[in-house]
Amino acid sequence: MAVDELQAIIQRCQILEEADFKGEDFNLFQVAGQKCLEDGYAAQLLEVIQNEKNKVIIKNMGWNLISPLVRCIFMYKQDDDRRELCLRILDQLAQLCNPKELFLGLLEQIEQTSGEQVCQTVMLLLQPLQTVLLKLQNKKAYSVGLSLAMIMNQLTPLPVPYTKQQIQEDKLGLCQCCNAVVDFAKPFVNEVVKNMEKSSEYNDMELKEELVKFCMKSLKYPLLTAQLEQLEGIEDHPFRQFATEIIDILWNIRELIPLVFLHPKAKSSDWEDQEFADIEQKNSAESLACLSYLMFVQHFGIECFPMVFSPSYLLQCNMSHVEVLLKRTEESMLSKGLDLFESCLLRMEDGSLLHQYLEFKDFVNVPQDLVKIMTLCPIEHVRKKSLNILQLFIDKFDTEGKYTLFRCLLKTSNHAGVEGYIIKNIKDQVHVSLTKEYDNIWFTGHHLISLLDLVLSLPEGAETDLLQNSDRIMASLNLLRYLVIKDCESDNQTGVWTTLAKIEQNFLKPLRVGLNMSRAHYEAEIKNKKENRKEAQSSNTVCSVTVGGEKLPAMTTGMQLQVLHSALFTFDLIESVLARVEELIEVK
Amino acid sequence: EVQAAALTERGEDITPARDRGVLKIIKRPGSEDECPMIGDKVYVHYKGKLANGKKFDSSRDRNEPFIFSLGKGQVIKAWDIAVATMKKGEICYLLCKPEYAYGSAGSAPKIPSNATLFFEASNAGEDLFEDGGIIRRIKRKGEGYSNPNEGATVEIHLEGFCGGTRFDCKDVKFVVGEGEDHDIPIGIDKALEKMQRGEHCILYLSSRYGFGEAGKPKYGIQANAELVYEVTLKSFEKAKESWEMDTKEKLEQAAIVKEKGTMYFKEGKYLQAVIQYGKIVSWLEMEYGLSEKESKASDSFLLAAFLNLAMCYLKLREYAKAVECCDKALGLDQDNEKGLYRRGEARLLMNEFELAKCDFLKVLEVNPQNKAAKSQISLCQKKTKEHNERDRRIYANMFTKFAERDAK
Repeated sequence: MAVDELQAIIQRCQILEEADFKGEDFNLFQVAGQKCLEDGYAAQLLEVIQNEKNKVIIKNMGWNLISPLVRCIFMYKQDDDRRELCLRILDQLAQLCNPKELFLGLLEQIEQTSGEQVCQTVMLLLQPLQTVLLKLQNKKAYSVGLSLAMIMNQLTPLPVPYTKQQIQEDKLGLCQCCNAVVDFAKPFVNEVVKNMEKSSEYNDMELKEELVKFCMKSLKYPLLTAQLEQLEGIEDHPFRQFATEIIDILWNIRELIPLVFLHPKAKSSDWEDQEFADIEQKNSAESLACLSYLMFVQHFGIECFPMVFSPSYLLQCNMSHVEVLLKRTEESMLSKGLDLFESCLLRMEDGSLLHQYLEFKDFVNVPQDLVKIMTLCPIEHVRKKSLNILQLFIDKFDTEGKYTLFRCLLKTSNHAGVEGYIIKNIKDQVHVSLTKEYDNIWFTGHHLISLLDLVLSLPEGAETDLLQNSDRIMASLNLLRYLVIKDCESDNQTGVWTTLAKIEQNFLKPLRVGLNMSRAHYEAEIKNKKENRKEAQSSNTVCSVTVGGEKLPAMTTGMQLQVLHSALFTFDLIESVLARVEELIEVK
Repeated sequence: EVQAAALTERGEDITPARDRGVLKIIKRPGSEDECPMIGDKVYVHYKGKLANGKKFDSSRDRNEPFIFSLGKGQVIKAWDIAVATMKKGEICYLLCKPEYAYGSAGSAPKIPSNATLFFEASNAGEDLFEDGGIIRRIKRKGEGYSNPNEGATVEIHLEGFCGGTRFDCKDVKFVVGEGEDHDIPIGIDKALEKMQRGEHCILYLSSRYGFGEAGKPKYGIQANAELVYEVTLKSFEKAKESWEMDTKEKLEQAAIVKEKGTMYFKEGKYLQAVIQYGKIVSWLEMEYGLSEKESKASDSFLLAAFLNLAMCYLKLREYAKAVECCDKALGLDQDNEKGLYRRGEARLLMNEFELAKCDFLKVLEVNPQNKAAKSQISLCQKKTKEHNERDRRIYANMFTKFAERDAK
């Protein structure tokens, strides 16, 4: 009988001195205890543990029971009495066992779980772990740090619930677990706060540092991946709650404001190996970006932030964070980056951002990142938002800033649609210059001419693929048409008349030639196809397209003809504007 | 209280454009004629309110002044303009129109669109040791790159004020750390280490860095008085660095310095005593190549220094440092009764009851007659019990909470 075995080993050990406990005694105790649990004798085991006479034995050997105990707890159902007994045993062990050994036992248990069991196990063991940590004298800070790191490590592989349904379901228990972990950390936070209040000299740096590490880790996971907007129908959004608690911790240990101002590049590194230093910097960069997002977009902790900074300075400080987030591809991170960027821009008045800011590398990199997102990101609402924010960014710059930014994007975007968009912006700026009172040197005169050189040109001369570049070409033609109509030759405010000859040579003539060539080519293709229709469908496809695992059916001749016709239509469009422009020029 | 009406009526328009965008009323004028210049690092304490009276920000809530570089566009326009007009020490009220603040965009979430902001601001000055103990306002910058070190000989001109009345004025030459010998408070010694040759500054000393609880009857200074000193560092000669002295010299000086330290200690001048004993440590702790005789002398000095430093730190309530010094003392003499006792005291005051008890028990092993140790042990036990009770009450039954949550 399991209970008898247990009694036997207990009786044997009761008469021994603590120092005389042997390895085999430990073994026998563990085996007997385990058997009791498995055979359902938890009540008897609890009695043995609570017996004063066995105090020394339990103190030394009790920690070995953690593993079988946890197994049993998960075996029983919620309402089972035996589960209740096991929980009480766990509680007793936390009180009685040697803190150091029990600590290792608990940590080991957490380390060994995986998958669905992780959150349950962690939540079960947080209370005894906390009891034990509060008892440790030496190396408490180190142990607290180790516990938090271990727990977060185990949680990190778990997927973060994202949609409203996922959050409400919380299948793996992650939401609940995260909030349980911050509760667990509270007494240690209180300790740091108390020590800081006691004496400004006494700095329990170690414990504070471990708490900061924990917060930084939490900012990266789960907060950076989580959906943090208010959700309808969810009263206490678990991740918003978690975020609030993390910010509270940082504020209480007086690290919040210093971290918000910390530039990842400025942080000095302790690592000798540059590779490690780079990894650490990269990790902290994402955490700090998340922190800025929490503060400036969700307004967590913003009551503590000084409200006297100029909006441009705030933008400058946040640009590096925006850049870090926009370089990622996950929707959760991209959208946070876009929101943070938007929030900073909305604090500014139009035209108030000085062009000098473009001397900062990130001010030039970020709009290029936006371009990548709006052209390559598969998620539609992200693309749209990205475009809106680019326009917002453009609007905030002073005129010279706009000018420089346009030049930069024309040269770097390599995308006809984006280029067309920029060219439209140029047209708007010229319009503003011509209609406003003051003399604007950037969108008139020789500056504009220089810009027109970039805009009114065909990248490959007459051989440019007109379809590929149709967006850009149309925008260019529209700009030219506008200039020619709005600016009289006599005024020549914009300078377009001065440079007309060059425009004709570099743009209008090759465009004319290109149009003719393309049209001829496509018309020939159409004719060919129509004639070949009568013959049997040839089965040698040049290439096939597979989407989502399914091969798309080959285009029928009918479809192919449709495409060719629409190409011709595009050429017609281009030609009509071109003809109009040439007409206007002739007249004037 | 900031009167919006008063500002609108009587406030001075300090905008370059004279468009009444920023209005100012001085509450308390500054103490010198100079205003900060562009690029200067300025320290400002402030409280900000909206037009409806609602407070939206205060540096006091963060317990530290707001620091920024003047005139660089880091702050709202009103501040770059206003702070440039604030003499050091000045407190003023400001009214800032939205065009000079956050404009039509506002600043979510606290500041609405087109908000006029009201501030009470003071140009605070540099907090030398980041504890509010010594505030410096430089009137004239010094030159060169070095500062006097501890033990340097300095020649200064000094004027001391308390409550607006001057109580001291002299030219004096002394050794940094020993200003006490000339009735100069420790704050001046500390500040001198951050001053440059030729510098003329004003130092605001809190009582801790002044004459403390003892006051200075000689000058009619009461206990816990705040002092203001105007100091010009005319010249200085740095003290010999440790590596510049040979062992013989160090041992000679150690004896002198030990006596000085003890003298300060007896007078209750613990900060000055720490400086003296600290010299022994910095000279001898890492000294190598000593003969046997020299080694003995050195260890004896170090032991005395560590033990006395521990005493000083206990008096200064810097318990962690006290423990550190005891550790070092015990490193030299592991059964040193004083070392063990003082470490026990420090640990007890840091609430590390178990460790404190260990130390006192060891004291009894070394000297069973030590009654003080006995009573300390029972004090430890009493405190341990109190703390466990309290912890148990505070963190009781997290489990029940979880169980309840599970059950939902």
